[in-house]
Amino acid sequence: MDVQETTAACRDAFAELASPACINDPYPFMRWLREHDPVHRAASGLFLLSRHADIYWALKATGDAFRAPAPGELARYFPRAATSLSLNLLASTLAMKDPPTHTRLRRLISRDFTMRQIDNLRPSIARIVAARLDGMAPALERGDPVDLHREFALALPMLVFAELFGMPQDDMFGLAAGIGAILEGLSPHASDPQLAAADAASARVQAYFGGLIQRKRTDPRHDIVSMLVGAHDDDADTLSDAELISMLWGMLLGGFATTAATIDHAVVAMLAYPEQRHWLQGDAVDVEAFVEEVLRCDAPAMFSSIPRIAQRDIELGGVVIPKNADVRVLIAAGNRDPDAFADPDRFDPARFYGTSPGMSTDGKIMLSFGHGIHFCLGAQLARVQLAESLPRIQARFPTLALAEQPTREPSVFLRTFRALPVRLHAQEG
Amino acid sequence: MRVVVDQDLCGTTGQCVLTLPGTFRQSEPDGVAEVCVATVPQALHAAVRLAASQCPVAAIRVIESDAGDDERASADPAPSPAEAEQRNPGGHDGTV
Repeated sequence: MDVQETTAACRDAFAELASPACINDPYPFMRWLREHDPVHRAASGLFLLSRHADIYWALKATGDAFRAPAPGELARYFPRAATSLSLNLLASTLAMKDPPTHTRLRRLISRDFTMRQIDNLRPSIARIVAARLDGMAPALERGDPVDLHREFALALPMLVFAELFGMPQDDMFGLAAGIGAILEGLSPHASDPQLAAADAASARVQAYFGGLIQRKRTDPRHDIVSMLVGAHDDDADTLSDAELISMLWGMLLGGFATTAATIDHAVVAMLAYPEQRHWLQGDAVDVEAFVEEVLRCDAPAMFSSIPRIAQRDIELGGVVIPKNADVRVLIAAGNRDPDAFADPDRFDPARFYGTSPGMSTDGKIMLSFGHGIHFCLGAQLARVQLAESLPRIQARFPTLALAEQPTREPSVFLRTFRALPVRLHAQEG
Repeated sequence: MRVVVDQDLCGTTGQCVLTLPGTFRQSEPDGVAEVCVATVPQALHAAVRLAASQCPVAAIRVIESDAGDDERASADPAPSPAEAEQRNPGGHDGTV
């Protein structure tokens, strides 16, 4: 009865997260949820965990207490699962596989994401950063506002991906335009028109990758697509056609919008807390601490897009999650749990100073990259992009300021901006 | 102290390599983590335990001083909070 009384105050957390108040600032609601309904059951039957300890446990228990959805099981929450291209592609991604299939696929791709490989990308990432900042300089120096979200935060991961995938830059910009629509269509609350828009975008991505795969087959280069095509052609059992396309589609989905959002949040933090800017003038350890704290304060993917299906009845905090329930974790709430991070709403890079990446000085895990078998494949790639960007932005434009209040993207799933207009302070007035 | 990585479990996240690059490395080409030291020097015991507790897939196993290479291992401080939590995740993982 207790449980029903508390959940009565919030019938559906996903609907609440879509409210204008939450789009503007979701953290008061997340705090309420953590304190009053930490094992929330949404109207759709989805469960949503919001305490750090519960989230951490659920992520670690994935592959054990939780499994990926069985084929066809998505239809419980997505009536169009059978006919939706986006949902079909999602079902073939790494995120929806259990070991040993998961392990087989993940190892195919991880060869391009070893720490050494990512480190080797630093010089080219630094070059892209410098070129984008050069490109913004004339307008800023004239006193004009520039949309940092579009001109830098989105452009950087797109250009890095174009290089990784061996794609022309313009092709990547074209594909990336549809990513937002796909992400919205995959949200648990997505409407039919949203899913239709996602499918139209997914069809364009699928067709493009079909052509790209053919080109890499005849003219392989040193890039991820050529490597995967080679693995597929050597042994179709290792990597099927559907898995190959889904893998590329999934990397596109996971890689861009999240990185862009975090660059945005880092710049906003830099401007909002001038007393913390010294972290970006220090050495690599200082910069890394700033990056981790940005990731903690604003998890770009606020909750897990991956269904985790309970293998058995699970009791958490006095609530029974029934066997076969779909459990999601509200990462952004866990990152602001005072039981894990003291004074959690305060921006304080010192929490991560000199620690192993992703772990606070108190030994708590920053949840934005997840944990367990689905730990973000691109975590280090994202960190390196941030670390190569932020000190350069600060050094190049020390008088950077917001030109106006940034516009939030009205997304339940992704905490990001539609526009982040900036200008140089000295030019104001 | 010795440390081993379960090659089948390894999730190839590279987290251990970021934490302790002198102790762990990623094999080429598949990114599976390997241990590159025979025994862990005393100065790194705490750091290795931390790396083990932080491994996203719990693929790192610490073997405390079974070869008698380090009799002081048992005098080390208590496990980190993260390790303690890993064993007993908030006391709420029971099944019904």
